[in-house]
Amino acid sequence: MKKILYAILALTAAIAIWQMDSVPKLSQKIVVVYVSEDQVFSEPVLKDFEKETGITVKAVYDTEESKSTGSMNRLIAEKNNPQADVYWANEPIRAEVLKQRGIAAPYASLEARDIPSVFKDPEGYWTGFSARARVFVVNDRVKEKPKTILAYIDPRWKGKSVIANPLFGTTTSEIAALFTIWGDERAKAFMEKLKQNDVALSTSNGESADFVAAGQYDFSLVDSDDAVNRSRQGKPVTMVYPDQGAKEPGCFIVPNTVMLIKGAPHPEHAKKLIDYLLSPKTERKLAFADCAQIPLHPSVQIPPELKPIDAIKVMEVDYAAVAKKMVEIQAFLKNWTGL
Amino acid sequence: MPQLQRQVFLGSIVVLLLIVGLLPLLSMLFKSMIIDGHFSLEAYRGLLASRHQWVLMRHSLALSSWVTLLTLLVGVPLGVILGKTDLPLRRTFAVLFVTPLLIPSYIVAVSWFDLLGSEGLLADLLGNPVAQMTNSFLFSLSGCVAVLFTIFLPIPMLLTMIFLRTIDPSLEEAGRLVSGWFGVLKGISIPLILPAVLLAAMLVFLLSFGEFSVPAYLRYDVFPVESFTQFSAFYHFQAATAAAVPLVAVTLLLLLAEALFLQEKTYPLRPSATIGRSMTIALGPYRKGVFVLITLLGFVIVILPIVVLLIESAGMDAYREALDRAGGSLLHSLYYAALGATLLTFVGFFVGYLIHHRTVRYWRMIDSVTIFLFALPGTVIGIGLISLWNTPWTNFVYATPMIIILGYLAKYTALTSRITAAQLAQISPSMEEAAQVAGAGWFRRMVLIVIPLSWRALLAGWIVGYLFSLRDTEITMLVYPPGYETLPVRIYTLMANGSPQLIAALCIIMISATLLPAALLWMLYHTMTTKEIK
Repeated sequence: MKKILYAILALTAAIAIWQMDSVPKLSQKIVVVYVSEDQVFSEPVLKDFEKETGITVKAVYDTEESKSTGSMNRLIAEKNNPQADVYWANEPIRAEVLKQRGIAAPYASLEARDIPSVFKDPEGYWTGFSARARVFVVNDRVKEKPKTILAYIDPRWKGKSVIANPLFGTTTSEIAALFTIWGDERAKAFMEKLKQNDVALSTSNGESADFVAAGQYDFSLVDSDDAVNRSRQGKPVTMVYPDQGAKEPGCFIVPNTVMLIKGAPHPEHAKKLIDYLLSPKTERKLAFADCAQIPLHPSVQIPPELKPIDAIKVMEVDYAAVAKKMVEIQAFLKNWTGL
Repeated sequence: MPQLQRQVFLGSIVVLLLIVGLLPLLSMLFKSMIIDGHFSLEAYRGLLASRHQWVLMRHSLALSSWVTLLTLLVGVPLGVILGKTDLPLRRTFAVLFVTPLLIPSYIVAVSWFDLLGSEGLLADLLGNPVAQMTNSFLFSLSGCVAVLFTIFLPIPMLLTMIFLRTIDPSLEEAGRLVSGWFGVLKGISIPLILPAVLLAAMLVFLLSFGEFSVPAYLRYDVFPVESFTQFSAFYHFQAATAAAVPLVAVTLLLLLAEALFLQEKTYPLRPSATIGRSMTIALGPYRKGVFVLITLLGFVIVILPIVVLLIESAGMDAYREALDRAGGSLLHSLYYAALGATLLTFVGFFVGYLIHHRTVRYWRMIDSVTIFLFALPGTVIGIGLISLWNTPWTNFVYATPMIIILGYLAKYTALTSRITAAQLAQISPSMEEAAQVAGAGWFRRMVLIVIPLSWRALLAGWIVGYLFSLRDTEITMLVYPPGYETLPVRIYTLMANGSPQLIAALCIIMISATLLPAALLWMLYHTMTTKEIK
């Protein structure tokens, strides 16, 4: 028995020494990235980067429960003790919050020169790529499809629509964007009318899409990848880009964003990773993956379910203003949801 | 001088335990009261003012109470049947029912989702309307209770089995002279093991109250989920700490109750000298019926969910992708669990020694601290660890897997210390005393007498430490350094939009990684024990 105990001790000591040796050193070819894009989509891209550059990627991914903000909050917690080099966010608002908190460093990648300026921070603190559009997913039994976000408050659809909890994720961003383009008064009135029109609340965009696919509701505002996925699974749904009319505000676009972290331990490798993520090649991969994201570089090939970015009427917003508004309306939204 | 050696060494172990376990909590509490550089109780005022907090409290209490009630109602009779009757395959059944406790809790939830969810196996078999009903059941209080019931059922079952063996058989023999087995169980056996039943109730209540992953997966709002969300999704450090306060308060209250009503009765856990001679209940004509019933229960709550995962993951492609994506994480899990188990065995052994021999005046406080940390939700310990170690000067801990190991040590020392204390109770103190009289110093006595005599506790402690470190999700998810995630964390992050086949394959890999090494070590332990008895 002593022999077994000694064997366990020896094994453990060997593991401890090996693990100590595997702790990264500054001179090693590594880059640390915090990722809020779903791991299932982002990890293959990071693996390809490793293969092509020989730089090891150490990543921290978000869980569903942290609602894509866990890694951002880890960055805030580590402001005075930065561990990450790069932040890959799945939308621009959190990147803007990090910029405002002094956690980002400017870096203008040459790979981003063809990306429209509306999707880039003017001071170079973050750059957008591969976007989702906020679209309607509509059940096929509905003959006349809703065409504008105002359908939510149209009595014709009373009790027939669903929206994800506006306290989380891209729904919060879109509501904040509406506040910036409509003004507080009109936006708050819209939110009140949502309640009056018996709009149901779901826990996530994915759940909303499932409800519509199952025929429990007629339509919902979701991310384009949620709609494309249900359609690829053969569910009876159609994707509609809302507010495309001349006098309508356009479709809210949510690009992924990437930023360099201030005080990054490996800045040179970080810049290489940022260049890689912003390249047309990465955008093509993300367009054909299950996340079906819309490339922001012109002329990148896309799957048939998607429209190219220049064929969509895009909601013109200032993402910095949206980020500020999002913080401002937190209390209103909490109150609205009854928390 | 030898006394001094002992006191200094054990004192160092206590200090280590306090630094690893209590200091992070104190740091967290302190930081929650400092807002913009000034002392403020704003976060706590917010806690009392919010209606939502009372809803959470109601949810948490309802969940823990139902789980406790159901596990006791089923677990105690199950423990009696498996521990005291002549039912065939009793040991096999006991191992079967323990299985869900050994694997990460949310994997059990995933398997039930694959069976009862809107696109689960039942939906394929019985159609959409039935699936909608079962899906609604699963994503509710009832679903949470059902899943946690299957996970925590082994606790009352095992405690009942163990404590029934400690009853002096002459009491039951006397009872049998005037009554049938039902009367003996009702009048003698069960009242005698009541402290064990209450201990089981307390453990199940605390573990359900602190459970994060199952309510989070099934979207049922309880305090641990709120605390995690406040920290991880909003980075409201103060609010996260405030949301953890009710968890800490309930844990402390129950531990206080344990100290008042149970400790003297259940500690030390001293199996009677008459072990092996305990009376067996002959089931007679009911044997077949009870066997079928137990088989059915085991099939529904343990085998069926695993079979569903196997069906869902069918095909080599899912396993190839799972190993490709998570092979590294699997190795991390195994390394950290092995390291954690060794440290837990070492620290737990000396803490157990200290508690058993009452070598310091505050031994009971040390025991309570370890139990308190075990009962505390992992999310709270994780937040505390970040609060203490996230500084440029302590990166050797914060930026390395050492932070994960410290988390294991903080949370699971109670298990190894209690196992040691129970084993030491069976070793005659005269051995150590004789060596002391012969002039052997404390370290010498430990190395040559106490440790060799306690090998069973050391090995059992290592196995338990390994299993609990391997299944840990809550602490690891909050603190893992970049690139050092474990398999349970990797599965959790892949669950966002990962294909059901991939998730099911990962769950099966996790279950195998837990059960296979555990079974091998247990067989080894069993063989060695049998050899020694012969």
